[in-house]
Amino acid sequence: MTTVNQTAPSPAVEAPAEAPAEAPAHAPAEAPLSAPAVLAEISGMLRTMLDEYGLDDIEVTMETRFTEDLELESIDLVTLAGSLEARYGRQVNFAEFVAGLELDEIIDLTVGQLVEYVVRCLRAARGR
Amino acid sequence: MAMIDTDHATGHDGAHTGADGVRLHVQRLSPPGGRPPTATAVLIHGLLTDSLASWYFTVAPDLAAAGLEVVMYDQRGHGRSERPGSGYRLDTFVTDLERLLDRLHITGPVHLVGNCFGGTVAFGYAMRHPQQVAGVAVIEAKPATEGWLTEISGILRRVEEELVVHEAESLAWVSAHRGAHTARLAKSAARLVRTTTIAEDVPASRVVSEEQVRAVRCPVLAVYGADSELAGQRRWLESVLPGTRTVVLPGQGHSVLAEAPTRVRELLLSWIHEREHESGHKCDHEAEHERERRRRAVTGAPAVGAAREAGAR
Repeated sequence: MTTVNQTAPSPAVEAPAEAPAEAPAHAPAEAPLSAPAVLAEISGMLRTMLDEYGLDDIEVTMETRFTEDLELESIDLVTLAGSLEARYGRQVNFAEFVAGLELDEIIDLTVGQLVEYVVRCLRAARGR
Repeated sequence: MAMIDTDHATGHDGAHTGADGVRLHVQRLSPPGGRPPTATAVLIHGLLTDSLASWYFTVAPDLAAAGLEVVMYDQRGHGRSERPGSGYRLDTFVTDLERLLDRLHITGPVHLVGNCFGGTVAFGYAMRHPQQVAGVAVIEAKPATEGWLTEISGILRRVEEELVVHEAESLAWVSAHRGAHTARLAKSAARLVRTTTIAEDVPASRVVSEEQVRAVRCPVLAVYGADSELAGQRRWLESVLPGTRTVVLPGQGHSVLAEAPTRVRELLLSWIHEREHESGHKCDHEAEHERERRRRAVTGAPAVGAAREAGAR
């Protein structure tokens, strides 16, 4: 069964200062390996985030751009990175993913690019 | 994500300081593979349109890959940190950094890296705690001198005028000429100026004398864009803090970090490595090379940034 995780940590959540929240080293067994399923999960995380801005009912597709279409700030992407790690474990390393990109490439990033990266990481981890 | 409460665990009464109990958003990146870090670098962002994301998406991952424990935080009122209605004098920002390091049990000596206003905060901390700072690296910044106060006060007045009084028109212009992301940042800046006393508080900050600036004992790296008004600071800083290394990047303005992240990354890494060598630590060149190799393998388009920058030079 695929469960869609809607409980991505909200920014108001407090974690102990000296012990950054431990993410699972490996993805939970039920983490999906297909792009549509990962898209559904990431859409859920984005909706949680957008709710705080009072935005809802925004359709998220593979072509949706984080900045242009969702009006997210770069700091929101950092928050999303935390949600991704909480859900998929350390093998989905957003910081490493963006390290290879320039700022304007990050600003132009589409949800699809992120979905594909997550799927690639999960498949690689599962293949071990 | 961790939220740090700046209220002192030891019962320090900060009620009248304004630095009390404000929750700050912190992100940390550690060296890969569970390797112990060679040193800690604290990255401090600038005023109004800035957040820790400016570091997260530029130099932070590479500093961590090179063996450093990287600590980034959103300054009060910015990013995902709390936005109190008042309490925005420079000293309060320095106290926030003090309490943050205390809360994180980082006892130093740390490398402070500051962009613009974040650099002024870094200098402020290094003046208060000279022994706890291994090095200060600033981008487009200077200490809180009389001149600094005049300039930043002028900037805040203009921001207030443009972003608050004429918000709709200004945002439309920014959106049309600078793109959606900058417009989004400007909107946040407008909200900060509109809902807090930041525009009055920062200009009411206490300034420091040259003598006080000399309290900074650690090595200093200062990076400026050649086309920025701040580039003129170079000689002054070198005269007040002899031994300061200044780098002026041709063709760059104030937004050096955003416009030339590859260059800034190189400068910061080699500078921190030098400091670590001086203090007897081994630095982790091998890990850095390994990371670059891995990145090339993963992205297939290795040094997009480096190539682009080289082309622009």
